[in-house]
Amino acid sequence: MNEALCDLSALEIARRVKSGENSAVQVLESTLDRIRNVEGNSPSTASYTFDPADLEKIHAYITVTKDRARVQAEQVDRAIEEGQDPGPLAGVPLAVKDIFCVRDTPSTAGSRILENFISPYSATPVERLEAAGAVTVGKVNLDEFTFGSSNESSAFLPPVGNPWNAAHVPGGSSGGSAAAVAAGEAVISIGTDTAGSIRQPAAFCGVVGMKPTYGRVSRYGLIAFASSLDCPGPIARNTTDVALALQVMAGSDPHDATAAEVPVPDYVSLLEGGVEGLRIGLSPDYFKLKFPDPETGEIREQSIDPDAQRAVQHAAEIFARAGAEIVEDVPMPNTHYGIPVYFVISRVEAASNLHRYDGVKYGYRYDGEVEDLRQLYRITRARGFGPQVKLRILMGMYVSAEQYEKGYYDKALRVRTLIRRDFLEAFDPQGRYKLDCLLTATTPTSAFEIGSVYGDSVLMQYADLLTVSANHAGNPGLSVPAGLDEKGLPIGIQFLGPDFSEGTLLRIGRTYEMRTEHEPWRAVKPKVLQGLG
Amino acid sequence: MTEKITKEIFDHLVDLAALELDDDEAKYLRNELNNQLQAIYELEAITLDDEIDVTSHGVPYTESTRPELREDVIDPCKEADEILAQAAEVQDRYIVVPDIPSEELG
Amino acid sequence: MPEFESVIGLETHIQLNTQTKIFCGCKADSWEDLPNTNICPVCTGLPGVLPTLNNAVVTKAVLLALAVQVDSVQPKSYFARKNYFYPDLPKGYQISQYDEPLALGGFIDLPLPDGSVRRVTIEKLHLEEDAGKTVRQVGERWIDFNRCGVPLLEMVTGPDLRTADEAAQYLIRLRQLLRWLGISDADMERGQLRCDANVSIRPVGSDDLNTKTEIKNVNSIENVRSAIEAEIKRQIREVQSGGRIEAWTLDWDEDKSTLHKMRSKESEADYRYFREPDLLPVLIDQDWLEQMRDALPELPLERKERFIETYALPEYDSEILTEERTLSEYFERTVQAFIGDPKVVSNWMMNDLLRLIRERGTTAGKLIIQPEHLAELIAMVEAKTITASTGKELLDKVEHSGLTPEAIVKAEGLGQVSDEGKLRSLAVEIIETNPDQVATYTGGKTTILGWFVGQMMKETRGKANAQLVQKIFRELLEKS
Repeated sequence: MNEALCDLSALEIARRVKSGENSAVQVLESTLDRIRNVEGNSPSTASYTFDPADLEKIHAYITVTKDRARVQAEQVDRAIEEGQDPGPLAGVPLAVKDIFCVRDTPSTAGSRILENFISPYSATPVERLEAAGAVTVGKVNLDEFTFGSSNESSAFLPPVGNPWNAAHVPGGSSGGSAAAVAAGEAVISIGTDTAGSIRQPAAFCGVVGMKPTYGRVSRYGLIAFASSLDCPGPIARNTTDVALALQVMAGSDPHDATAAEVPVPDYVSLLEGGVEGLRIGLSPDYFKLKFPDPETGEIREQSIDPDAQRAVQHAAEIFARAGAEIVEDVPMPNTHYGIPVYFVISRVEAASNLHRYDGVKYGYRYDGEVEDLRQLYRITRARGFGPQVKLRILMGMYVSAEQYEKGYYDKALRVRTLIRRDFLEAFDPQGRYKLDCLLTATTPTSAFEIGSVYGDSVLMQYADLLTVSANHAGNPGLSVPAGLDEKGLPIGIQFLGPDFSEGTLLRIGRTYEMRTEHEPWRAVKPKVLQGLG
Repeated sequence: MTEKITKEIFDHLVDLAALELDDDEAKYLRNELNNQLQAIYELEAITLDDEIDVTSHGVPYTESTRPELREDVIDPCKEADEILAQAAEVQDRYIVVPDIPSEELG
Repeated sequence: MPEFESVIGLETHIQLNTQTKIFCGCKADSWEDLPNTNICPVCTGLPGVLPTLNNAVVTKAVLLALAVQVDSVQPKSYFARKNYFYPDLPKGYQISQYDEPLALGGFIDLPLPDGSVRRVTIEKLHLEEDAGKTVRQVGERWIDFNRCGVPLLEMVTGPDLRTADEAAQYLIRLRQLLRWLGISDADMERGQLRCDANVSIRPVGSDDLNTKTEIKNVNSIENVRSAIEAEIKRQIREVQSGGRIEAWTLDWDEDKSTLHKMRSKESEADYRYFREPDLLPVLIDQDWLEQMRDALPELPLERKERFIETYALPEYDSEILTEERTLSEYFERTVQAFIGDPKVVSNWMMNDLLRLIRERGTTAGKLIIQPEHLAELIAMVEAKTITASTGKELLDKVEHSGLTPEAIVKAEGLGQVSDEGKLRSLAVEIIETNPDQVATYTGGKTTILGWFVGQMMKETRGKANAQLVQKIFRELLEKS
């Protein structure tokens, strides 16, 4: 079968567009064709009635910015005609998670409260991707304000389906991003990762996703959830494209006082370096999960899925054969505090970040009669926010109010130090383990069925157990596809490295990719693409 | 299971959050809050040495990685009108909201 | 009945006169601009925006901290979020320093009329952003975000002031200091200096700190004085009639000169302060701080004392000349350029230069006439090259034209006529043509001498040396 243009890698598309072999407009057309084929009903805030046909389709895009994209694609083509270089992402179709403000587009955060907000400015990383020649095809769905791990909490329904089996969730919160990339509805996507929101959906959808180091990529224009944890990052179908996108997005920004002044290496040129001599660790604390029983509250221990375990072991063998040293039994004893700490820190920050949605300046405002301003606030917020958002706000109020449990916040920030310490010790070049990276499963299970977990906010949160620690500690993580489980759903493995070690992680990911190139699962396509073209 | 978040506390939280909830929603949310608190209680058992400080951002900033403060140079924004156009009600370039109950008693 | 004394502490909000707002590049000063024009995504709290701290805000705040001799400018201070809903607060939280402010401790010395000095302690200085403005309309509020994000420095005093007058004096001294340091225009009417007053009373001799009330919304020094006076009287009345003081927040109604009780706001606990994750801590480099300390200008009270000592000025003169920094600098430069008694310079400045400054609505530093010009002008008067009244007119002429005094004197022929021969021959003419007046003089009414001098002034258009003219006329008339 002839590959459609939209199924090519970003590297290949940019090469073809720059050489004149294909035009950016052709690539865009191919992408729009794919969207028509796999999207199904467009997500909207209209009252949703379940349609079984929705479980066959993707519904990734809240907004397809067709006209804006065409103008961008034509600009790329014109630049090439005029002999200019439109940049390393020339003509590459980009799906932007709808948590980023993009100039002149509805920027909804998946929420009714921002449904009619048209952003007058663009987020820095999006601006940089566009300046490098990427063509923004549209804004993709997510959990409302990124609050979730399944995409089901979006105000825009039907929920995004997993391209491998659309009755399953794509993961979250960057579920629209991962699904769109997996289904060829975009070649790269920009998502955000606050507890695993890039890596977990990337794993669920069989694509590559990176959470960069905190401060590596500017947060300016990212509609904030938990400001001290949020990281924008790329999602693509291979590590090279992730490297390419990260290269463009990364770096300091005069609009973000927390974007670090750390030089951006040439990630792409570092990719082929292999893993010879690298020390890759395995930790028992990432094979067994500790979490409180939802009924009794008692701490229970449970192993991750056997398929996921096997994938990690298999990868370790591959790396060993490729010349890496595998270090076993690296203790990461504070990993299981990740979720409780997250419950506190993220809620405090989220509740505050959501104060601004009050119907005064932008977005939804209740237009019925009100007694006074206070009532306007209450009704606007009650109708504008979905239940998962309200839940986070209320928890945030509780753990930050002086008269309740403000002590938890301070405690959580200190336990965060313990979590970071685990990583520091594992990565310490003078320490016992001297790791270059920790190899773990990205998620304890593969994608669950739509409707099976949603509503149980605690269980849902534990889907992030293996990813959230890196958000607390700030260090980078890369998830790459590592096979399919017995249900035919993708499994992801994750590399966690020291601060600003994205280049090394990408190199490790690329090595894994090359060494597994001929494994049979690599030839299997997502179900939604089977039978197309 | 103990109900840490009683009806009274819950109502206060709803007030702080500037929300109003119907009964079903309130019931669901209060239940979930109490469930989440179960998870958070895990933190209580942790004993921490005094030397363990807070981590506010995971990655510490050093002299070389901290961005410089902004220079005091005016950067006029051309989008003021677009920003204003997002508001539900505008009059004479002011954003209009309903009255705030008077704060004066005297 | 015991006698009462009052205990007053002031919380001042100082608008720093930076070019841009504290967290974005918008113009900070919107005094003459239409509503919602100096706004951007950041200061209107659009989704996704982040604050970036203006370095001039830190520099200016540190300057004041050093000037009030704080115990410490904190090497590391933090911003926090103060969360509450209000329509003039677009993010739903105010970014403000809280538990770890920029500077702690310090004092301002207040000279009192009886010659003693009241040391007013400063508890802390912290940085924060201003909120927008709400305008009351019938049944609605109109919001202008221009003021959102204007940098404010909050400075809190200890409960050290004892009278409404002292509170007013404190504000006058603070205003002087802010302008002196060039960090705020400190115009209360424009909200550049705002003041909340905490007031309580106690029997004289007691050290107790009793329940205090907080007066807000006072926008002139005069009103601060009146509001505190009214509140002290109210509290004394209350206590004397057996009542109790409650911790009310009061609002000063300027038009009616009365206090109103405000409905209690959200309590402190409900603000849910926590560290602002979007900003890194403010770090103060110790070397830089020392450089700032070295560069700190001589402060008004020090300069006043030095003027008294160095130039032998009366305290009154020195006080006036050090009221404003450029005026004091003007004085010193003039003294340096003028060979003679500094008191003469002081007289010229207090009488004539200050008149000119007031008339032009400017400051000494912005005058066109330079200290060297003034010195030259005074020297000409002293040397009797020109008369004193010519000198006064000359001041205006220099300011108007930008020419040097000497050039104008030359061009307009304003030089004083002291040529005795010339004046004598003119005097002889006057005497010859006015026999009646001569007869009056010789008849014994010598006071008519002034009339003769006046005639001479008419003839010479005021340039004649008056003393010389008197002498000549007296001689000539005695002989006739």
